[in-house]
Amino acid sequence: MKKMSAKLLLAAVMGTTLVLSACSGGSGGGGTGGDAASGSESKSDGGAAATNDAPKEKVVVDFWVNQFEESTSAWFKKWVEEFNKTHEHIEVKLTIVPGDAWDQKMKAAQAAGKAPQVYTRDYGKIVPAAMQGQFMPLDEYVDPAIWADLYPNVEQFVLYKDKHYAYPMLVEPSAVLYYRKDLFQAAGLDPANPPKTWDELIDAGKKLTKDGVYGLHIASNAVEFSWTTWGLQMNSGHQAISEDWSKANLDAHYESLIAFYKRLYDEKVAPAQALNGYTDMADFGQGKVAMSVNGSWGIGQLRNDYKDILPNVGVAPMPTPDGDGTKPSATLGGWSFVMDGKAKNPKEAGEFISWFLAGDPEIMVDYFRTSQFSKFPPRKSVDEAINADPQAQSDEVRKMIAEKIVPYSLAEPTYDWAISFAFGSAIERAIQGQSPAEALAQAEKEINEFIAKNDYASKKP
Amino acid sequence: MKNKKRYNNGTAYLMLSPVVIMLSIFVVIPLIYAIRISFYDWSFYQDPVFVGFRNFYLVLTDDRFYTSIGVGLKFVLLVVPVQLVLAFLFAHVVRAMGRKASSFVKTSIYIPTIISGIITAIIFQIIYNFDGGVLNAIIGSFGFEKVGWLVEKQIVLFGLAIPAIWLGFGITALIMLAGLLDIPESYYEAASLEGASAIQKMFHITIPLLKNVAVYLLVTGFVGAIQQLELPLFLTNGGPSDATLLPNFYIFEHFRNDLLMGHTIAAALLLFVVLGSISAIIFRVINSEKAIDE
Repeated sequence: MKKMSAKLLLAAVMGTTLVLSACSGGSGGGGTGGDAASGSESKSDGGAAATNDAPKEKVVVDFWVNQFEESTSAWFKKWVEEFNKTHEHIEVKLTIVPGDAWDQKMKAAQAAGKAPQVYTRDYGKIVPAAMQGQFMPLDEYVDPAIWADLYPNVEQFVLYKDKHYAYPMLVEPSAVLYYRKDLFQAAGLDPANPPKTWDELIDAGKKLTKDGVYGLHIASNAVEFSWTTWGLQMNSGHQAISEDWSKANLDAHYESLIAFYKRLYDEKVAPAQALNGYTDMADFGQGKVAMSVNGSWGIGQLRNDYKDILPNVGVAPMPTPDGDGTKPSATLGGWSFVMDGKAKNPKEAGEFISWFLAGDPEIMVDYFRTSQFSKFPPRKSVDEAINADPQAQSDEVRKMIAEKIVPYSLAEPTYDWAISFAFGSAIERAIQGQSPAEALAQAEKEINEFIAKNDYASKKP
Repeated sequence: MKNKKRYNNGTAYLMLSPVVIMLSIFVVIPLIYAIRISFYDWSFYQDPVFVGFRNFYLVLTDDRFYTSIGVGLKFVLLVVPVQLVLAFLFAHVVRAMGRKASSFVKTSIYIPTIISGIITAIIFQIIYNFDGGVLNAIIGSFGFEKVGWLVEKQIVLFGLAIPAIWLGFGITALIMLAGLLDIPESYYEAASLEGASAIQKMFHITIPLLKNVAVYLLVTGFVGAIQQLELPLFLTNGGPSDATLLPNFYIFEHFRNDLLMGHTIAAALLLFVVLGSISAIIFRVINSEKAIDE
């Protein structure tokens, strides 16, 4: 009896082991199973490409987009559906990914070899990633004519070694000053004359801070300081590193920029702990702050979600050290579609990108309409169509941003994020108590170390 | 006799095999693979390039790596002792309770353990909110000025320690209670007969007999606290000025931002070495012993 049960046990153990090892085999090659499936899929792809009397199976193109405003998500859904309806052989699968989950979700997908074939990417990250082969150049898969429609300065954002690594969707200035006209009046300030210099901004902010309302919403942590100040950094006429990427180039202007942010927090113009993130206008919309520095997208959010305060909202360029509005105070950021470096169906993905972003201008006009004309088209034909739109024509905010901010805004820097982050951290340290000179010296040291360690001068595109 | 022995060995190997196979698949092989790719410039898109010890050099010359370990150790000092003392006191209270009351309390105290770190982070986000947060509302009612709990360098780590203690308190207290209940009642009776005071009983009976449990809780508490990721990720993003840059968050940040994975993997391996050695030191210094009555 005892022996019997021992045997039974043995059998059980062996059984378990077998099952386990079978499982593990399965997981290593979710591999094998998955490949078999995708093998048949790609076979039928090949069939579809080669012959037209192809089987009904569609080529699937995964498409991830960042979660922007709700209106934008709805626009993506609407037009992806339209594309799928009009393209029998391709099925685009849309996934909307929240911004704070994007990086980890994408890294996990890349590590598993399951990155989406097409996705949204901001301009600043295109060149560094293209250098690492993460994106596929689009030129081979799209009609070359689509590039001619782009404004030449925007085309530069997506070019690396004479190849296009993305197709631009929109551009938007990263910093615009929003203010409440009624609160200006109540505080004895002139609503028709918003602050133009840093000193005026701080002064106005102090006067506006009362009755539970804070003076100013602005960037509030190292990450936000790193990218939202790009425009003001270049107000001095140069980037944070030298032209040839061989060393840090942080002069007195950069120190005064740190001192400016330190003053904003030391003098309590901005709440010590931000009420929400930089790109969100909720605090301003809910009347908790009197002024807000935010991207041009902010007006779109106000028009969609906070209609009641609109009559009292004024919009002006971001103040600069000397009030000179022709020097940059913002960067032209924005979003584009890229094709993954390992995309399985580049032909179909290219067809999708051209149809969506570079095809019928109406698709993009619809986008700019849903975002309340708070962003700007990179394409001449779309711009013309928008300019013909009566609603856009009568839009004073759009006109002001288009005339007073966009022409003086610069492209986002293409150097590594680590460099921007070193300067953003310097601003944060100064707010925590370090002197601006010390904070700047440390940032300079960090940037120079990064350049030396990575032999960065040789990597300038 | 001989035969039987061999037969037993075979069974033992068979019994062990599931564990060995699982460990190899999920621990040993990935670890070896990680060590291998830590010597490469490795991205998901290009062929790996062998770079020798360069990734380790990059990590070891990065001030933020040391900052993160320093912050991690400080965080452990804030979390673990408080957690152990609170759990010890709490376990005593529960032991003295009636059956029904104690089972109710035990269930309630366990709830934070099954709440995920992310939910906790959101709860404490609301508590620490600057404008309209519960904490600022309370101190405001006493006439104090609002405090930026998550942006002031001096207090932010305490701000993270409180949810961490809250999260780990339940399981710590329950394990401590199990240890307490394991101590035979007769020891205390004997001590009472000899006229020992409550404090003497605690120092001469309870604490020595809880030593093994305490060492276990110390090591797991240490490893758990220093590896905290969700709280800095969702509450502070490692800031302000790296004041909450816990080691795992440092690694995660590199994973998220870097185009090449070498730095991330090298940092993770080095952290593994650091954690392993500190745990070994704890075991060494506080020798775990067998209970006296065995």
